[in-house]
Amino acid sequence: MRLLMNEHDTQESKALAFAAEVGHLMLENGAEISRVEETMERIATCFGVDSKDFFVLSNGIFTTGRSYAKVLFIPFKGTQLQKVVEANRLSRDVAAGKLSLDQAQERLEEIRNMKGEKPAIQILASAVGSGCFCAIFGGSLMDCSAAFVIGMLLWAFVILAGRKNISKIFSNIAGAAIVTMLCILFCGIGFGHSISHVLVGSLIPLVPGVPFTNGIKDLANEDYIAGTTRLLDALLVFFCIAMGVSLVLITYSHITGGMISL
Amino acid sequence: MNGIDFITLSVAGQIVAAFFGTVAFSILFGVPRRYYIHCGVCGMLGWTFYIVLFRYAGFSEAEATLCGTILVALLSRFMAVWFKCPTTVFLITGIFPMVPGGGIYWTIFYLVSGQLRHALSSGSTALMVTIAIVFGIILVNEIPGRFFKSLSVR
Repeated sequence: MRLLMNEHDTQESKALAFAAEVGHLMLENGAEISRVEETMERIATCFGVDSKDFFVLSNGIFTTGRSYAKVLFIPFKGTQLQKVVEANRLSRDVAAGKLSLDQAQERLEEIRNMKGEKPAIQILASAVGSGCFCAIFGGSLMDCSAAFVIGMLLWAFVILAGRKNISKIFSNIAGAAIVTMLCILFCGIGFGHSISHVLVGSLIPLVPGVPFTNGIKDLANEDYIAGTTRLLDALLVFFCIAMGVSLVLITYSHITGGMISL
Repeated sequence: MNGIDFITLSVAGQIVAAFFGTVAFSILFGVPRRYYIHCGVCGMLGWTFYIVLFRYAGFSEAEATLCGTILVALLSRFMAVWFKCPTTVFLITGIFPMVPGGGIYWTIFYLVSGQLRHALSSGSTALMVTIAIVFGIILVNEIPGRFFKSLSVR
């Protein structure tokens, strides 16, 4: 048994560790399993690793080589698709032989520190999204304006909840409840005509589009464990939203003694 | 009132709203800035196809969703090869208008308010739409990558 690692093994371990880090970054920002595996494979091959095995789950990566083994636990953080795009580009540059391992490591660090849009712009985007989807689902101009304002307030809440590390389940229930209350309030004072249209529009920012689409793609790629986990995640968020909405509607109907007419 | 009606807004208005709505969500999902417009176009074309089929060609919601999804998935795979960028970016944002968020809330609302018959009908529609999206994505996923590469030789 060898006690000292030779030069080649050290190099191999470094390359595998780097591949694992890239995979980590991609997975936590919403990439599909097959893409993560493919990218890690590509990077490891280009740095001359001949013995390598990767096993990627929706929240973990197992990496082993001849003298390297690592398990990474990766909770899903939030989606920054730009990091997936840049990590993919990085792997292509590595494959083209443009980067040494150290240069690639620097690039990875840059990508990791990339910032998303500012909170103000996110809030505006959520507002525009809510307004537009309210229009798509048949709301009038007044309904859309109401959805615009509620979408804005909703995303301010989502950002706040993210900073306070409030659990996903609670923040979705609370977010949906807040939206429903505001809808009833706004339509009550005449800002918006139909509660239903305003409600559907302003709830849209909470819809779990990323885990839903990724789950389907993973199933299509025959990554069944990751696919079902992600679809279950999306389903849970849907249930939370529904719970928040119905909680407020039921309470309201008890107070006023009748179901609100939508 | 039963479900959501798409009658209020003209098709032109729908198209504009779908474009800006998709761009707004590509911002929320952290898509790189240079692809905002591409994502918007992808979502807009998918929704336009959907709404035209649904309103004028007599397609059901699920059928129209299947066609819309196939279009978006094809577009996103083509763009992925063209811009050398993961498919996911265009797929997630482009599909977004068709995800049956509305249908699911309606189902819950009817359940809560005790209108079981309505709940059943909107719930089954939401389920069908979901299955249509799944099928659309899986179908396009099965097309080998060579096909898209050969189309985008430049």
